[in-house]
Amino acid sequence: MIEIEHLTKRYGETIVVDDVSLRVEEGTIAVVVGTSGAGKSTLLRMINRLVEPSSGRVLIDGRDTLSIPEDELRHRIGYVIQAYGLFPHRTVSQNIATVPRLLGWDRKKIAARVDELLDLFQLDPGEFAGKFPHELSGGQQQRVGVARALAAKPAVLLMDEPFGALDPVIRSKAQDDLLAIQRRLGATIVLVTHDMNEAFHLGDRIAVMDQARLLQYAAPAELLTHPAEPFVEQLTGTAERPFRLLSLTRVKEALEPGDAEGEALVLSTTLHDALARLIALGKDALPVIDASGKAVGRITVERILAHGRLPA
Amino acid sequence: MSSLRPHLSLDRLGSVIAVLIGVALFASPFVVYRANRIVAGEGRMLTAALPPAGALGIILTGIGVALCAALLRNPLPRLAAAILGLATVVPIVGWSATFVTPLGNTFARVSPGLGFWLLALAFALLAADALTRLRLGPWVRLAAIAVAAGAIALLLLSGAWNDLSLLKEYANRADSFWQEARQHVWLAFGSMAASCLVGLPLGILAYRVRRLRAAILQILNIVQTVPSIALFGILIAPLGYLATHVPLAAALGIRGIGAAPAFIALFLYSLLPVVANTITGLNQVPAAVTDAARGMGLSPRQRLWQVELPLALPVILAGIRIALVQNIGLATVAALIGGGGFGTFVFQGIGQTAIDLVLLGTLPTVALSFATAIVFDAIIDLTRRGPT
Ligand SMILES: Nc1ncnc2c1ncn2[C@@H]1O[C@H](COP(=O)(O)OP(=O)(O)OP(=O)(O)O)[C@@H](O)[C@H]1O
Ligand SMILES: [Mg+2]
Repeated sequence: MIEIEHLTKRYGETIVVDDVSLRVEEGTIAVVVGTSGAGKSTLLRMINRLVEPSSGRVLIDGRDTLSIPEDELRHRIGYVIQAYGLFPHRTVSQNIATVPRLLGWDRKKIAARVDELLDLFQLDPGEFAGKFPHELSGGQQQRVGVARALAAKPAVLLMDEPFGALDPVIRSKAQDDLLAIQRRLGATIVLVTHDMNEAFHLGDRIAVMDQARLLQYAAPAELLTHPAEPFVEQLTGTAERPFRLLSLTRVKEALEPGDAEGEALVLSTTLHDALARLIALGKDALPVIDASGKAVGRITVERILAHGRLPA
Repeated sequence: MSSLRPHLSLDRLGSVIAVLIGVALFASPFVVYRANRIVAGEGRMLTAALPPAGALGIILTGIGVALCAALLRNPLPRLAAAILGLATVVPIVGWSATFVTPLGNTFARVSPGLGFWLLALAFALLAADALTRLRLGPWVRLAAIAVAAGAIALLLLSGAWNDLSLLKEYANRADSFWQEARQHVWLAFGSMAASCLVGLPLGILAYRVRRLRAAILQILNIVQTVPSIALFGILIAPLGYLATHVPLAAALGIRGIGAAPAFIALFLYSLLPVVANTITGLNQVPAAVTDAARGMGLSPRQRLWQVELPLALPVILAGIRIALVQNIGLATVAALIGGGGFGTFVFQGIGQTAIDLVLLGTLPTVALSFATAIVFDAIIDLTRRGPT
């Protein structure tokens, strides 16, 4: 768990992060969004003390980060940046082994960990372990960057626009991979992005920053239904909001008893996708089945639209 | 254009080389004959410098190489032709010396003439061009320089050149030659080692502490602009003072003239390339890489040794290479203030108007610079990993 309390950063007269407080629960993903220069990276870098706060403090699992020597703190916090920052003179496996080596793990344990991570990120150890970063594609470099950050099993992972340099297809795959890995490892993640779709896709909670201030920190749906300020509404895309809301809700939550004609939808489908199917098929209702294929009810256009309604 | 008519096209550099060879063969003396070591010489054209078979051999070889240079594009046969040319002309000039020297005359001197030098230059150009086009890997280049050094050693040991004036000068001074050689190497490489010892930490300091950077570089830049003779002179006074007033300094061999001021001057000259390149090399380590290193908890020292220095190494080595080659050349000037080195022969030779003695000092200096440059370039290539 990360607790940020009244964190402020000043450079001379300019305030870059202004009295920000927020809490990231154990094993969840907090996404920080906001315009360029809002102070997102600075906020993130104050968590591992790459930037020293002017005032306020950060607690990780209840311990003030100032009480931990900074190198030791950083060994325990994974850090991924947009440009990945892979060491060009070291192979993929040497890059991944960086922090374990600093921690003095023994050779065998490091080798096993590197292989495990390469497998996890679908990089064949036989092919990739000995390659140098410039021999990798952007997507592969990105995966190595994340693998390197996870090498010493950190409980906390900080990611600054980790997918910013990827094309849309690879990017959405990388997001799904991150979600899967996060579920498996249970890490607590703070991720900075410019991409609202990414924020809604990944975030358990989203922090919206503007001009050094934290405007709102809430679950994605709440951000849509109860934006704290006009800026939040604008950032989430005024016209997009109902659709985003539908993307966040699953068929299960809009299920009604009864039956319908046509190809069945699964309970876990998002309302956004369900509506798309209904429109495409020209229907008002479709049957719904559970994961085992048993019919459990139906979904209607009317119910879906009701879920996309924003409070006045 | 040339690809449209590949068989008829002339290679531009090759044509120049062919013309050089032509001038060398038919319009320049192959060797120069002197009745004794200091009188003016008289040139001997090829036909007068060698028995007919030898002259014909050189002419045919020269024409063959010229044709290869002008007409062939593939670098491999061009290289082969150049090596064949060198392997023919270089030993034969020794034969020519034996042929031209009257039997039993120990005063007569024969040195290579313009024709020989032009031929050697033409073949060397052709070889250098072919080698560049072949883009050989660093290991092959190291092997090539080793083979070349071996071939030269073999030539000298075989006695094929013993009748050349250059080797007669050497024979008269064999002991002092090797002593000056050691002195030259010590001056050039020792001062370089000292400036690495000082320059690397200074460069790292200037990189870390931005405010010092401009000041350090400015001072070193000023040192660099002082002419070498002037710098030697400037150093003589304080060192002389030191020698007369501090017994320890005198005991260490520090005197106003001699090796000490030369060593210090070379040290000061090589400081700028080392410091400047250390700063440049460290500066060009990508910001993302240092940021990631910091973010992963590498301490400043770990960052320096594990990330920044390895990535800056090719640039730092390039600085050392520049300084070292410069030092090897400059060290000849040290002889002027009694510092020793190959310069001793150069200045003695100038004093006695004995050109061959000048060559005895110059040729080893050039060879040493050349070999050092090649070896360093290969090492730099070997340290360059990944895109830079
Ligand atoms: N070392 C520094 N000295 C002075 N100002 C700084 C420094 N670092 C950042 N800033 C300023 O702080 C502000 C916030 O920077 P920050 O990098 O946190 O923004 P960001 O939200 O991450 O922006 P982006 O989305 O473009 O990455 C910017 O105006 C920046 O110019
Ligand atoms: Mg940023």
